[in-house]
Amino acid sequence: MEVITLLLPLAILLALLFIIGFIWMTVKGQYDDLETPAMRMLIDEQNINPKGNIITNKEKS
Amino acid sequence: MSLCVHCDEKILIPVFNDFDQNQTEAFCCFGCMTVFNVINSKGLEKYYEIKKQSAIFKRRSPAESKYQQFSYLDNSEFLSDYSYEDLASHKTMEFYLEGIHCLACLWLIEKLPEYLDDVLICRLDMQRSVATVSLKSEGQFSNIARELNNLGYKPHPLKRNQNINNLKKHEERKMLLKIGIAGAAAGNIMLYAVSIYAGAEGKFAETFNLLTVLFALPVLFYSATPFYSNAWNAIKNKTLSIDIPISMALIMGALSGFYNLFIGVHENFFDSLTALVFLLLLSRYFLNKIQEEGLTANDLNFFYEGNSIQKQVDDTFIEIHPHFLKIDDVIKVSSNEMIPADGIIVQGSSLINNSLLTGESRPVNVTTQDHVFSGTINLANPLLIKVEKIKDDSRIGKILKQIENGWIQKSPIVDLTNKISKYFVAAVFMLAVILFLNLYLQGKTKTALDRAFTLLIVTCPCALALATPLTLTRTLSRASRIGIIIKNNEVIEKLASINTVFLDKTGTLTYGILKVDSFNILSKSRLPIYEIISSLEKYSNHPVATALKEFSLEKNATLVHNVKNYQEIMGSGVSGEINNHFYEIKNGKIFEDNICVAEFSLLDHLRADTNEAVTSLKNLGLNVKMLSGDHQSVALPIAKLAGINDENVFFEITPENKLAMIEKNAHTLMVGDGANDAMALSRAFVSVAVLGSLDISLKAADIYLTTPGISHVANLITISKETMKVVKRNLVLSLIYNSFSVYAAFTGMISPLVAAIIMPLSSLTVLTSTIIGTKKLNAYLKMGAH
Repeated sequence: MEVITLLLPLAILLALLFIIGFIWMTVKGQYDDLETPAMRMLIDEQNINPKGNIITNKEKS
Repeated sequence: MSLCVHCDEKILIPVFNDFDQNQTEAFCCFGCMTVFNVINSKGLEKYYEIKKQSAIFKRRSPAESKYQQFSYLDNSEFLSDYSYEDLASHKTMEFYLEGIHCLACLWLIEKLPEYLDDVLICRLDMQRSVATVSLKSEGQFSNIARELNNLGYKPHPLKRNQNINNLKKHEERKMLLKIGIAGAAAGNIMLYAVSIYAGAEGKFAETFNLLTVLFALPVLFYSATPFYSNAWNAIKNKTLSIDIPISMALIMGALSGFYNLFIGVHENFFDSLTALVFLLLLSRYFLNKIQEEGLTANDLNFFYEGNSIQKQVDDTFIEIHPHFLKIDDVIKVSSNEMIPADGIIVQGSSLINNSLLTGESRPVNVTTQDHVFSGTINLANPLLIKVEKIKDDSRIGKILKQIENGWIQKSPIVDLTNKISKYFVAAVFMLAVILFLNLYLQGKTKTALDRAFTLLIVTCPCALALATPLTLTRTLSRASRIGIIIKNNEVIEKLASINTVFLDKTGTLTYGILKVDSFNILSKSRLPIYEIISSLEKYSNHPVATALKEFSLEKNATLVHNVKNYQEIMGSGVSGEINNHFYEIKNGKIFEDNICVAEFSLLDHLRADTNEAVTSLKNLGLNVKMLSGDHQSVALPIAKLAGINDENVFFEITPENKLAMIEKNAHTLMVGDGANDAMALSRAFVSVAVLGSLDISLKAADIYLTTPGISHVANLITISKETMKVVKRNLVLSLIYNSFSVYAAFTGMISPLVAAIIMPLSSLTVLTSTIIGTKKLNAYLKMGAH
């Protein structure tokens, strides 16, 4: 059971790290808009060249 | 029936591109076709592909293609008010965009920098329909606005209200922090509490107990602060709130927890209490979120800030933003535009549709020296208007002001949960005192104090406080899915007790536009009569002409003849020559060489579903009454068609009278759309604004229907009755649990372990009951949607 003296502070440290991470993200505004980014990631990345035609990733590379 | 390629609207009269010989791509209107062509010419066809795949799909309305220069956006005075510099000091402006509806819109708008050289970054917030656009150094906002307008998203520049926006954002972030911290703390506490319940002893029990107290501190002193402040406000205002017993339980729990730590007893209620705080905050957060969704459009004062205005400067016209309109400006209002300010006509004569302001369905003739009011619509010819009153001084501005005052006066109701909390607090306190005295008199002071404390903690009405927000959230989100936007959750409870429904006529029961009612052919004409109509009325914008044109199209009159000597006589009719015969349409008659060949009459038609809707309202046992600003001769026939008895019809009612009628009756539901209804809407017990309402009515009403007509009003009442049933059932369930905890506290059976079982169990029961109850609602709504 002595191992708990090591694990307990580690567990608490881990919890605190996550809480601090959460606070940081919230304050930075990562959670301000919950809807749009979820949709944005559904769109495949494509680019349009200056002529106005779509170039797919394949062509680009 | 085919659907429009662009907006998926059903098509009555299809429109095709000239180059589309096979007519494969049908559009509902020229607006949609224009937008489709713009999108294609930029190589953005993928828009339609994405749109098809998009799961989240709000139906978009047909595109309005109105050409606007937006040159006012580059005015330096305007820029200083509306634009700001972003972090990298690029000029940035926010636009509210009309018609944002799905993933494809997001794609299209965020692609802006790739096909428009002016734009550096463009980000869209779909929840708010707000695009934030940053410019390259040489870019101009007018180019961007034009492009957005071309794509069918009408842009409205948003004034950068730094304070309000930031404050709101700040509040929301704070709320999230509170929820997150409460959740994290509750989770950790649970770990240690379980070890204690499992029988940790000695040093371990001591450490774990200390840890639970430490983790509970941020919850008690930070996350739970909204409960304390709500409870304190309620006490100060001598009102009731469920937050009072919650705060009480939290404080008692904290005191006993600290005391136990101090005397070395390894027991506390923090595991139950922190989980409770987390769940409660979460449920309230969701309820707020869903309510705000309905509010976004409402935040914006579109009415004044809608379209740009053509202002006369010397001999030319420049485009200005309504914000910069001043008294004595001379402005040009083209046909089918809304008049932006009260004023006097200095040039031109036209027809004005007053229906939004007065409820009159018939257009009024106006000419030089006549007064016109903001909020009315110019139907026929361009007018030059000298502005006399703007904003708050205009007739509509005054109504708006009264609404805002009424808004403040309208006292919030104490909802069922909070009402019950009064008896709840009294009962629990009394029981605690009885329990304490009973044991104290037996000489067991310590046990007495212990059990009284425990009683106050375990009777915390957590299930009660949790159930109602959850039920309302589910109801609100389901309602919004079928097009009912509820701005305020209190109205659900109010709706269930409605006994009288007041309906506005023009625009609510009817379409608000003239249609041919009867058409009699008196003698045979040389040309088919419908071809005569479509040829003669081709160039007229008059509402009568529009009605006749639509009528002849329905009769399949597609052939249009050449008209010579065409004349339009204001307020009378049109005349012209076809194949050397003289034709005239005036005063409800059609003449061929001065011989009357046909008669017609026009009426603002009843919506197709009105009669059915009125019947279902009556079936719910409601008194249905009609309020109209229109004349008796128009109001009575419409009421008859709608199925409303003559004694329940009130005609020629001024906005003030409407208000008075509403205030005379308690428990009224007002349904309307125009500015003439706005005051009544703002003061009614519950109010509904229908699709096509003026912005001020939207602002004044509690509920907004995004589907045309009133067919959803009856659904709305049924939904709220069902919802209240679920709420009441939940109240009973949670009170049963509470009685059990009171019994347990009296007999001394209860310990933190028992509490840790009972509390989640009661919450779980209530949640299950809510989900089952609202599932039923779901099935009902599906029925109602079709």
